[in-house]
Amino acid sequence: MIPAMAKIQFCVLFVLYIVIKCDSVNVDTISSDIKIKNVDRSIDISSQLVKITSKVTLENTGKVPVKTFLLAVEGTAKNNLAFIGAKDSSNKDLRLVETTVKGYDQVKFWRVELKDTINAGSTVVITTESVYTKALQPFPTAITQQEDQLVKYNGNLYFYSPYNVASQKTNVIINTKSVESFTKVKPFSQQDGTIVYGTYANIAPFSEKELNVHYKNNSPFLTVTRLERLIEVSHWGNIAVEEIIEIEHTGAKLKGPFSRYDYQQDHHSGPASVRSYKTLLPASASDVYYRDTNGNISTSNMKVKKDSVELDLRPRYPLFGGWRSHYTLGYNVPSYEYLYHSGNEYLLKMRAVDHVFDDMQIDELVTKVILPEGSTSIKVNFPFPVTRLPDSLHYTYLDTKGRPVISFTKKNVVENHIQDFQIRYTFPRLLMFQEPLLVVGFLYTLFLCVIIYVRLDFSIHKPEHPHKD
Amino acid sequence: MPTEAEAQHANVRNKGIFNNMTGFSTLITVTVLLLAWLAGFASRLFAVIRFESIIHEFDPWFNYRSTAYMVQHGFYNFLNWFDERAWYPLGRIVGGTVYPGLMITSGTIHWILHTLNIPVHIRDICVFLAPVFSGLTAIATYLLTSELWSRGAGLFAACFIAIIPGYSSRSVAGSYDNEGIAIFALQFTYYLWLKSIKSGSVFWSICTALSYFYMVSAWGGYVFIINLIPLHVFVLLIMGRFSQRLFVSYTVFYIIGLLLSMQIPFVGFQPIRTSEHMAASGVFALLMAIGALKYLHSLNPKRQWKQLLILGGLVAAGTVFLAVVLLTYMGVIAPWSGRFYSLWDTGYAKIHIPIIASVSEHQPTTWSSFFFDLHVLVCTFPVGLWYCIKNVNDERVFVALYAISAVYFAGVMVRLMLTLTPVVCVLAGIAFSILLDLVLKEDEMQIAPVETEDSKNLYDKAGKLKKRTHEPAPVDSGLGMNVRSGTLIAFMILLMLFSVHCTWATSNAYSSPSIVLASYGNDGSRKILDDFREAYGWLSQNTAEDARIMSWWDYGYQIAGMGNRTTLVDNNTWNNSHIALVGKAMASNESAAYDIMTMLDVDYVLVIFGGAIGYSGDDINKFIWMVRIAEGEHPKDIHEADYFTERGEYRIDSEASKTMLNCLMYKLSYYRYDSGGSPAGYDRTRGSLPGNRGFQLTYLEEAYTTEHWLVRIYRVKKPDEFNRPRLPLSKRKIVTSNNLSKKTSKRRKGLIKNKPTLVKGKKVTKLE
Amino acid sequence: MVRYASPINPAVFPHLTMLLLGIGIFFTAWFFVYEVTSTKASRDLFKELLLSLVAALFSGFGILFLLLWVGIYV
Repeated sequence: MIPAMAKIQFCVLFVLYIVIKCDSVNVDTISSDIKIKNVDRSIDISSQLVKITSKVTLENTGKVPVKTFLLAVEGTAKNNLAFIGAKDSSNKDLRLVETTVKGYDQVKFWRVELKDTINAGSTVVITTESVYTKALQPFPTAITQQEDQLVKYNGNLYFYSPYNVASQKTNVIINTKSVESFTKVKPFSQQDGTIVYGTYANIAPFSEKELNVHYKNNSPFLTVTRLERLIEVSHWGNIAVEEIIEIEHTGAKLKGPFSRYDYQQDHHSGPASVRSYKTLLPASASDVYYRDTNGNISTSNMKVKKDSVELDLRPRYPLFGGWRSHYTLGYNVPSYEYLYHSGNEYLLKMRAVDHVFDDMQIDELVTKVILPEGSTSIKVNFPFPVTRLPDSLHYTYLDTKGRPVISFTKKNVVENHIQDFQIRYTFPRLLMFQEPLLVVGFLYTLFLCVIIYVRLDFSIHKPEHPHKD
Repeated sequence: MPTEAEAQHANVRNKGIFNNMTGFSTLITVTVLLLAWLAGFASRLFAVIRFESIIHEFDPWFNYRSTAYMVQHGFYNFLNWFDERAWYPLGRIVGGTVYPGLMITSGTIHWILHTLNIPVHIRDICVFLAPVFSGLTAIATYLLTSELWSRGAGLFAACFIAIIPGYSSRSVAGSYDNEGIAIFALQFTYYLWLKSIKSGSVFWSICTALSYFYMVSAWGGYVFIINLIPLHVFVLLIMGRFSQRLFVSYTVFYIIGLLLSMQIPFVGFQPIRTSEHMAASGVFALLMAIGALKYLHSLNPKRQWKQLLILGGLVAAGTVFLAVVLLTYMGVIAPWSGRFYSLWDTGYAKIHIPIIASVSEHQPTTWSSFFFDLHVLVCTFPVGLWYCIKNVNDERVFVALYAISAVYFAGVMVRLMLTLTPVVCVLAGIAFSILLDLVLKEDEMQIAPVETEDSKNLYDKAGKLKKRTHEPAPVDSGLGMNVRSGTLIAFMILLMLFSVHCTWATSNAYSSPSIVLASYGNDGSRKILDDFREAYGWLSQNTAEDARIMSWWDYGYQIAGMGNRTTLVDNNTWNNSHIALVGKAMASNESAAYDIMTMLDVDYVLVIFGGAIGYSGDDINKFIWMVRIAEGEHPKDIHEADYFTERGEYRIDSEASKTMLNCLMYKLSYYRYDSGGSPAGYDRTRGSLPGNRGFQLTYLEEAYTTEHWLVRIYRVKKPDEFNRPRLPLSKRKIVTSNNLSKKTSKRRKGLIKNKPTLVKGKKVTKLE
Repeated sequence: MVRYASPINPAVFPHLTMLLLGIGIFFTAWFFVYEVTSTKASRDLFKELLLSLVAALFSGFGILFLLLWVGIYV
């Protein structure tokens, strides 16, 4: 665990360093030695996200062993990109470094650092995964209650790469038969739920060709517009987690009236609306609460499973296109799940963001970690680049000088970002007595006041019979 | 420990044992009061345990909203708060139209807790404020009763008021209303008043005035104090009980109380400008006159002065009375307000102010509710009253007046049961204390006469009161042992039944938050109907920030509090004509209502419809009040009789009147309503099938309806969004004026009237 | 690094609360009764200070565990 952690830590620090410094420091050149023999690409657009998984077979045609290669993302799509990652054939994560290439200012590049070098003439298989948010546009943009939601996907027919691609094949997974229209570039075939393009041979580097799919997609188009995650660590054995969530249905907007009658009579009514969704909490979560500013939301169910707690959350009202909702979800987990220590050194390993619903997309994530009062020398490691917000202080029960708060934010977050961050801090154990002693001191002061009060005499003149009223 | 203390005391003074007993009696008193506090607090938590920590009903939502505003923006901004979210387009000056005591109290608690780093949400403070104050009320009642009678009676009274339904009905957790803290202020003011009249000390009078100030800041019921205390003084004068103490305490209290009460913006100059407060000034003037005459009398104590004194008193009283009448006539002093008249004439409100009569808590009290709210105490408090009158002194005159006036007011209005409850507890406490004195003391006398002194001290504080208390004791000494124990057991059983009843009544009748409904299935499982919050949550999230919601005034505070949207009318019913306009819109047909709604810039209309689940407090059932209030202001357009059948029945089925079936409220309630069991569209509240079904709405569209159809929200279409209803051919005639019908040859061609004739090269000039 | 668990098992919070608060309230009551009953001459400062210290200690820790029990993890 430890070496792996150290590696990740190093990696993260490195990435952070790069992000913080300047992008232009990293300049790479496109190696002409690398050729792509085969690409097997699948574009999953059956949910609200676009998930592209490509199996890339790389070949080193040069004479020198190659240690790195480049991944590229089209300039048009780079703003929607939420996550990009690469794995080698043994399913290990590879390190990605953001970089640039002269002459391609619009394109976004990543340098993938391989674990083992590719020797001259040999090949290696790499799986890359990228997730795009908001790449599916509802068309028409507004529908009535009874209509299905149609969306348009606009992508690249070819695997976008700085290298020459010898042969490639693309599967577009849409999970529905009702397709309004799609780009027809031969050879292609349509089976139920998927459209297969290819095989295309010998595509030049950076080639783009439009790929359009217009199809029915009634999967929930829910966007968490803002998620504030509060983690409060107590050394009395508890970690409290609270998530303040603002959510919006970002699919096709509801046009015209909402009819409760239709909604109740016909269970297929409002196909694009969201009645409920499932949130997975850690298995040890207890004391779960689900409320908004008006109080408890009574329409939720909790199922305790072996490896998680499954919450079936129903917003107060079904969410139609353009409708919003907000709520607060909180729970407690015991500290031994996430907190480690040796002596006075503590290490907190928790998820920077947790599951809200399947295929979630979060516009803005703010995570705040409240450490016990008196924690010092705090060091933080993040699994992915984030923007660190200024540290602050939080005051709650029995605090005197406030608890340190570490907060950071990230935009455009998806499920692939459910990863652990690490916070190391020092906390002298004796400080745990500060809180009870504060109460004791307060009470003792009260008693002392009584002791002093009974010794005082406020009367202006001494009454003759002190016991007579 | 007692032995130690005894040994030490014995050295110092003979009274060592006595002192120790004071210690124990203090301990017992403190313990009983703390337990009463705890019991009172706990018995008010039913709603929190069954549902959640939430603000109840209607008015508390406004109080909560303004408290939250004050906590967020500070006190001065709160005083200057102009709420544009209410009474659109008029707005409401909240700071000047509200009793700020409640908000200040919880704001202060919030501030103290947050200074101590205790991050309690303001909502929780508001929810638990009334239960906490019930404990303070118990202590104030204890003080008041022990001032009147004895500490034992005080403990009884404290226990009674802690759990009595008549008080807990207004102070359960979540019912965040003025009454919750005002009853404490009321009891405490009365206690201080008795204290001051007993001692004649300026200190206690000032305390009374300060406590009165708190009461003024908290509740409009302060008028009760400012009339009852002068009445007490007046009756004492008539009884010839004028004294220097009375003079000092009343004059100090009146002047300081008057000045302080005028500091509350909502009260302002009322204490010197309205009839409600004139009794206090009159008595003040009278007291001054009598004080002056008394002073003259003391200078020359001769016989004829006595007649002069009485005559002078009468003349002074007459002059004061005439002056008040004259000033009222001249318009310097405002006459009695309508709400006040309805206290004397129960039929007044029904005729003149339907908006007051439409509130259920303004109805006259039924006999059963006396018993329901007070249980056994309603039968025992006359005993206490009788003992008080029998052993009368200055203070007991007060409690007698308090009891008599409160009984009258409680009979007039259900709501004023609240003012009766404390005095009933006080007097019943006295009654029970006397009874236990009789029964228990004799017992001990026979068995262990030595301990009598001590046990009495346990119960009644040694003092001058004691002698009065025990006077009747020897009379009943003939009671046998069995009779006594029998009585004791019987009364203990009564008290037990009382506490059982109190808990039951609080739990079943007064602990429903009314914004969350619960229904019970056949298997006893509970289902929560959360439609109100569903609708308000929808409003707050999915309508424009400045959207204006039209609904009946009952829901105004809730829409503002939970939905955070602008309302047209709300529970602060200060503008009757505005409410009547909303009522008129609800009672008119769709197109007429549309005109009113566009005039008022309405974006959404919200109606409560209970037909699907059988909820009886819905808008159709309240509708007749809307019609009445609308008719009061617009007698030409709305006639109450149109909404009844020819036989004068109020119904919604096919026999209902045509006006009823086509009015906006009816249509909004039953639009596309086809669920609710068999036959489809059956109204379970009214128990009938609606008479007008399957109609379409032209000017509105359904925006949202909650899961159980309880709240229905409609969007008012903009003028370009709907097709005007199709006119039958016969009516499709454009009303043309006379000069147009004279067709000249020019006009026949279909030219535009007044079209400027264009000449090339010339600027177009306006014709005519 | 080992997993960090609470120094006191959360399962015993209720018992600790009851015990400590019970003792604390007893001593508080004793202290106040003593304050009310003793006169100026019979008062013993040392006894008062001792009683109040014991009462404050037990009540203080009792309140802490009460907070922990009800879910306010300070």
